[in-house]
Amino acid sequence: MRQTAGKTAPIASALFMGLGHIVVLRQYAKGIILALIETVFLLNAGTLLTALVGFITLGDPKPKMPIMQRDNSIFMMIDGLIAIVIVALFLLLYLYNVRDARKSGLDYEQTGETQTTRAYLAQLFDKAFPYIGLSPAIVMLAFFVVIPLLFSALLAFTNYTAPSNLPPANVVDWVGIDTFKQMASLPQYSQGFARTASWTLVWAFASTFTTYFGGLFMALALLDKKIKLAKIFRIIFILPYAVPGMISLLIWANLLNGQFGPLTRALRDLGIVQWLNNTGLLNIDYIPWLSDVTMARVMLVVVNLWLGFPYFMLLITGLMTSMPPELYEAATIDGAGTSQQFRYITLPLLIYQTIPLMIMSFSYNMNNFGGVYFLTQGNPSDKLTTQSFAGATDTLMTWIYKLTVDQRMYNKAAVVAILIFAAIAPFAIYQFSQTKSFKDGEM
Amino acid sequence: MGKVLQALRYILVYTVLIIIAIMVIYPIAFTVAGSFSVGKSLATTSVLPIPRDPTLEHYRRLFEETKYPLWFANTFKIAVANTGLSIVLTLISAYIFSRFNFRFKKAGLMSMLVLQMFPGFVGMVAIYILLYRMGLLDTHLGLVLVYAAGQVPYNTWLLKGYFDTIPKSIDEAARVDGAGHLTTFLRIILPNTMPIVTFLGVTSFTAPWLDFIFPRLILRSEDKKTLALGLFEMIRGRSNDNFTMFAAGSILVAIPFVIIFAVNQKYLVKVMSAGAVKG
Repeated sequence: MRQTAGKTAPIASALFMGLGHIVVLRQYAKGIILALIETVFLLNAGTLLTALVGFITLGDPKPKMPIMQRDNSIFMMIDGLIAIVIVALFLLLYLYNVRDARKSGLDYEQTGETQTTRAYLAQLFDKAFPYIGLSPAIVMLAFFVVIPLLFSALLAFTNYTAPSNLPPANVVDWVGIDTFKQMASLPQYSQGFARTASWTLVWAFASTFTTYFGGLFMALALLDKKIKLAKIFRIIFILPYAVPGMISLLIWANLLNGQFGPLTRALRDLGIVQWLNNTGLLNIDYIPWLSDVTMARVMLVVVNLWLGFPYFMLLITGLMTSMPPELYEAATIDGAGTSQQFRYITLPLLIYQTIPLMIMSFSYNMNNFGGVYFLTQGNPSDKLTTQSFAGATDTLMTWIYKLTVDQRMYNKAAVVAILIFAAIAPFAIYQFSQTKSFKDGEM
Repeated sequence: MGKVLQALRYILVYTVLIIIAIMVIYPIAFTVAGSFSVGKSLATTSVLPIPRDPTLEHYRRLFEETKYPLWFANTFKIAVANTGLSIVLTLISAYIFSRFNFRFKKAGLMSMLVLQMFPGFVGMVAIYILLYRMGLLDTHLGLVLVYAAGQVPYNTWLLKGYFDTIPKSIDEAARVDGAGHLTTFLRIILPNTMPIVTFLGVTSFTAPWLDFIFPRLILRSEDKKTLALGLFEMIRGRSNDNFTMFAAGSILVAIPFVIIFAVNQKYLVKVMSAGAVKG
């Protein structure tokens, strides 16, 4: 047996997991563990197969059955997805099993020895420790993050949408890229997408830009040693960061209420609304803070600035106070004045250090749901909204939310999500390339 | 001449600072005043943040006519559970990614990074169905699991970065002295990363107070609601006929937040600016 172990062991283990380990290599513990895993897998093969078939067919319409007994395509899809994950893990293990048998077999041919059970168990524990430790996190991620995201991506290739294809009453079918084609060819969706996508970009850019420079300005103003009460001002300016954002946004939505909000009432009492009407700039007796498209968009950015500048103010203050003093001493000796020091030392250093944060802030704002939804709910709506369900201030995120929750057009929401993913991925890669361990070549 | 210019400059800076301070304070002051104002609606509040005939009526209604105390208790429970679960999960996974070498390490870190870029609610249809099939729909446990799982990728990255800054030679020295993995971790790594662990604790405690999408998706019954849900529904649609009660409810949540923030401010700023340097 020994002379051919390098061939027989992998062949036997390929026939049944662990067989080669037991018969040829006499590694009983490892062999039995592997064989047990395959046995459990085979015992459940029927269930897995049904799930996989269900994943492919997504059920047949059975209009004569009571609704609850009809095929539920969406359950079948999720079960199928879970089955695919299990089968994939099993196949990986199978591959490992054959490769391990081959490696151990070749060792056995040369040395005549195989690893003892005790050595194997010790090694197993040592090598497997990272996987064992990570397993709770992996299981939770798999169920609540990975499978849901994969599922959402798959929905783009189905006809899962209201009103025609909603389980349990009706089944859902795979339709390939029909939903993509449909959304590209129907002008209301392509126009809705174009408007929403471009506004999302403008919003993300304007939000990042205003909060960054707003925070920079405040940090600089308060770091000036001649400004008294800087501490009190700083405490005041931190307030918007400390109050829960959702609450601030709902409060702002009330402050900006066109009819009854205090801002409108103040302007009315001061006669400014009347004056605007007289000059013809306005022909209504209230201010359309959130009901005029341009005004609403400006207000979104303004309120976001209110919420977001303290973050950058805190951050920049922290960075400025930890700048190396030697640099400034050297600059002073060379005769640089305060403003020159700021322009040639402080600002470049600061911007260099905060670029990753600006990029993160940009991608955060692209994904920011509450910042838009709680203030305007995507309104005002217009003709395009009634056709595509995208309001004039909806970003891609709030549009996805509306398509999913309000309209139940799951496949269209999934198409939009996939397009966003394609746009966001470069940021993820950039962020990755900026990490220390990547730069140090550790990974 | 120079002095006059400089004085003018400071007058300008002070004016700007004071105007911004008013703009920052006004919405908060208006809400505080609103919570003490007579009348239910937004229209009856006074524009200047000084209530006429201050009253505690809305606080009383909040406690007697709504389930506010229950929402508060629910949210608190979820926040505590989420903090505990998140911290344990993150500590373990960040420690493993920082200290061990294993085959799928790079792939694991890469996928966590990609997952972290995506807002969790994109997968909400599947989360709803999975929870339904596990019998966890309309339970706080279901919500906590979704929150804790969603925070793992980002928090692991953040914490791993900090663990990496503690030289491995220190671990090895401890190992030579006979300390096991657990002792090394508890005695050496953890005390050195307390600021970031506090930061994680604060963020995972505060997250459920603000989140709206997942409670809306998962929780159905009135008794299970969280604060965000309750407050949102209080003013949704008819935004002007419950404003004063909403204001009272908001103030009561905002106060603990401001306190938590004030207490932890040093840690938070340290973590944020360190993050900037490290990238």
